[in-house]
Amino acid sequence: MGHFLYDLFYRTDVLLDAWRTAAHQSWAMRGWPVVILDVLFQLGWAAAAAVFLAVNALFIIWFERKLAARIQIRRGPNRVGPWGILQTLADTGKMLIKEDIIPDAADRGVFKAAPLMVLASTFLLFVVLPFGRGLVPADLNVGLLYFLAIGGLSVIGILAGGWASNNKYSLMGGMRSAAQIVSYEVPAVLTVLSIALLAGSLKLGDIVRAQPAFGYILLQPVGFLLFLTASNAEINRGPFDLPESDSELVSGFVTEYSAMRFAIFFLAEYTNLFLAGAFAATLFLGGWRGPLLPPVAWFLIKSYFVVFLLIWIRWTFPRLRVDHLMAFSWKVLLPLALANLFITAVLVKVL
Amino acid sequence: MRNVTFGNRDKMPPTARGTVPAATVVQPLPSASATSDEFLLNIGPQHPATHGVLRVVVTMDGEVVKDIVPHIGYVHRGLEKLFENRTYEQIIPFTDRTDYLSAIANNFAYVRGVEMLLGLEVPRKVEYMRVLMAELNRIASHLLWLAAYGLDMGAFTPFLYAFRDREEIVAMIEEASGGRLTTNYFRVGGFVHDLPKDFFARLRKFLARFGKALNELDTLLVENAIFVARTRGVGVIGKERAVSYGMTGPCLRASNAAFDVRRDMPYSIYPSLEFEIPVGRNGDTWDRSWVRIEEMRQSLAILRQAMEGFPEGEHRARAPRNIEPPAGEVYSAVEGPRGEIGFYIVSDGTRKPYRVKMRKPSFSNFSALPEILRGLKIADLVAVMGSLDLVVPEIDR
Amino acid sequence: MYAPLERGPIGRVLSGIASLGKGLWITLAYMFRKPITVQYPEQRVVLPLRFRGRLVMPVDPEKGTNRCTACMRCVNICPNHSIDIEKQTGPDGAPLPKPAKYLYNLGTCMFCNLCVEVCPFFALVMSDEHELATTDRGGFVRDLAAEKYRLTGKKASWWQRKFRGSDSGE
Repeated sequence: MGHFLYDLFYRTDVLLDAWRTAAHQSWAMRGWPVVILDVLFQLGWAAAAAVFLAVNALFIIWFERKLAARIQIRRGPNRVGPWGILQTLADTGKMLIKEDIIPDAADRGVFKAAPLMVLASTFLLFVVLPFGRGLVPADLNVGLLYFLAIGGLSVIGILAGGWASNNKYSLMGGMRSAAQIVSYEVPAVLTVLSIALLAGSLKLGDIVRAQPAFGYILLQPVGFLLFLTASNAEINRGPFDLPESDSELVSGFVTEYSAMRFAIFFLAEYTNLFLAGAFAATLFLGGWRGPLLPPVAWFLIKSYFVVFLLIWIRWTFPRLRVDHLMAFSWKVLLPLALANLFITAVLVKVL
Repeated sequence: MRNVTFGNRDKMPPTARGTVPAATVVQPLPSASATSDEFLLNIGPQHPATHGVLRVVVTMDGEVVKDIVPHIGYVHRGLEKLFENRTYEQIIPFTDRTDYLSAIANNFAYVRGVEMLLGLEVPRKVEYMRVLMAELNRIASHLLWLAAYGLDMGAFTPFLYAFRDREEIVAMIEEASGGRLTTNYFRVGGFVHDLPKDFFARLRKFLARFGKALNELDTLLVENAIFVARTRGVGVIGKERAVSYGMTGPCLRASNAAFDVRRDMPYSIYPSLEFEIPVGRNGDTWDRSWVRIEEMRQSLAILRQAMEGFPEGEHRARAPRNIEPPAGEVYSAVEGPRGEIGFYIVSDGTRKPYRVKMRKPSFSNFSALPEILRGLKIADLVAVMGSLDLVVPEIDR
Repeated sequence: MYAPLERGPIGRVLSGIASLGKGLWITLAYMFRKPITVQYPEQRVVLPLRFRGRLVMPVDPEKGTNRCTACMRCVNICPNHSIDIEKQTGPDGAPLPKPAKYLYNLGTCMFCNLCVEVCPFFALVMSDEHELATTDRGGFVRDLAAEKYRLTGKKASWWQRKFRGSDSGE
């Protein structure tokens, strides 16, 4: 029993592989098509990711609210469940029973599809995330490229949401948001390129293995800060949340969304927060590596540490104005990222 | 009417003469032409950023503001007419409610005016108590301004830090008067009750703690790089233009004009207190924020001096039960947190005033908004309106 | 005193970054401090003695009845005309110095305390009741004389000290 538990936590990939080969053989013996087994396996991964998404949203929203409250010398939710853990459940229940309003002149098909587009792009990113040693749904050879490409897909959903609302402020908010995401992709890509240079591969599993004990953060401190800032801006959070702010004049693209559709945008935003943390942890902090604890635990600890940093930043600083946002990305982050890439390339070649 | 008695009119500074350009006169709604990029944006009356029930119609050309037409009057309660039908004591609780954040300053201005009409001298202890209350009120009002301004800018935490400090002040005032915001504490001749026994102990504790808390708020919001980038050089108004609009208070002092009612039209014990008047250099939004933070520091200094020199005495002078000042008129002004609060009281010898006109700083400060905002981007509107520290009930009365 | 001069470009960049760091340090320090929340309704804030809650006409424990003589001073001074008094009539139809009905309109009262100050018999007190929200507008006008309110706690002893003349100015 002890062996099995140890294997379950510390050698999950070995266990899974063994189970998979056994299942393959058993199916092959009975003459069932093995291809269906592979499909079922992948569906199992997808289901696990979906469950993780839901549980993570529950936890991360509670974490943010409690942390924000502590910064603001107050308590945060503490009535629903012990320490308020079930608060998110209560809020989700509230959102489910709300009336689903679709504006009259809105483009109905696009209106209904927009939240799902954003959620889809978020969900697709789980494919390359290394949860633990060998625990990747699909360790693509171009994992890093996949992450950057799919990460930019949410722009389509945001533009669709802004357009379909038939509200000029939503449209402006959606376009601003899209411009912001696209602008901050560039420094993110360049920073991630430096990591790829150091690791010598685009495969995320290899990048984790190639890192020294502490991760690349010691070799790329500026890169880490750049990536953190760029991710913060890409998930429309923190000092960069002008498009969705409620005290500015132009309300964001989610204005016309109510009930479950809004809940899906909300869910996508918090999942994006987790993914930003997870990728920062994978690329800079050493992913699932660490002594004593199981790899999955290390992965989660490091991801939530970066999430903590992002929450801390959000509740400390005021918002950036729109033109400052763009200027900051193009005039400050981009030159810094280029310089970082240049220096990394030179050092990699020389050393 | 007999004998005109003006408060300090001969000491008032000369007004700046100048023509007001036609563009700043309130015009009917401009019609945006169909071929240009101009469109009208209506902000309010319900809007989280307007600090009250205020409506502003902005003519925009793309992102740039071309003209602003403000519409006020949503909170008009007819107070000046109401005062004509209330006795002098009954008016005092209403003066609280014109600007609920500087209730004590409003009380002060009005009660001083009535005492000038009556020719009533108040004991020295009353003067010291009045200065203590007024400066506490100033700090509380500026803290609320900081909290709301931070919220407009997207910084959510200074709100709670400022309110924690404000809670201490408001609790002190509540112990003394019974009310937190609408205090109704001043009376003609002094105060309703004396200061409670543990007032000075609490004040001492507050003074010991607040300097550090103020530095924290300063670092967190006003010195923050993002805030500075958003406010430096934004919403500039020059010294002559500010004076010509009748702006007073921190908005005027930020534009390099050192005018403070406590210095230039002195009242109460202010001539004997040592404090500095913070003056900005550029007249932009950052200067207005800086001036308010510095004023809070100077208020701390004033509070310390008033506490140290606090005399013994009565908390209320002997005033007649029915206040019937002789016929005459008076203008009494104090430096409120937003600027010069003035009460022009005309008495006809009866128990009710003939006319009470209130001069409110937010009204004049707000009138400069079209000029300040012309040519700026729409994203700056929130920053500039917040920095003017408007309280709409004061504008509308 | 004048505003500080603007720094040069390098100074601005360095002080900007420093200000961001200082801000983060302040919020980090606050994460570990005790929150100041008063968990309502289980915990309540201690109200000061002079707190101006709802108006009440308390029963004098020695007399067994309220102290009002229907002199109408409170009616005349209320700025909002929130008080109305009906005097009791004696057997011969002449009015007695006692209120038959003391009608107080909670909806228009602005809790200014003028009625309490002007009453020469200390018949009125502003109690500690502040949780006055209701869904029924009809319940606003109350007869305070019929209510026979009993003050308790510090406010009661404060009130009694006032009309016994031993109030030390609290």
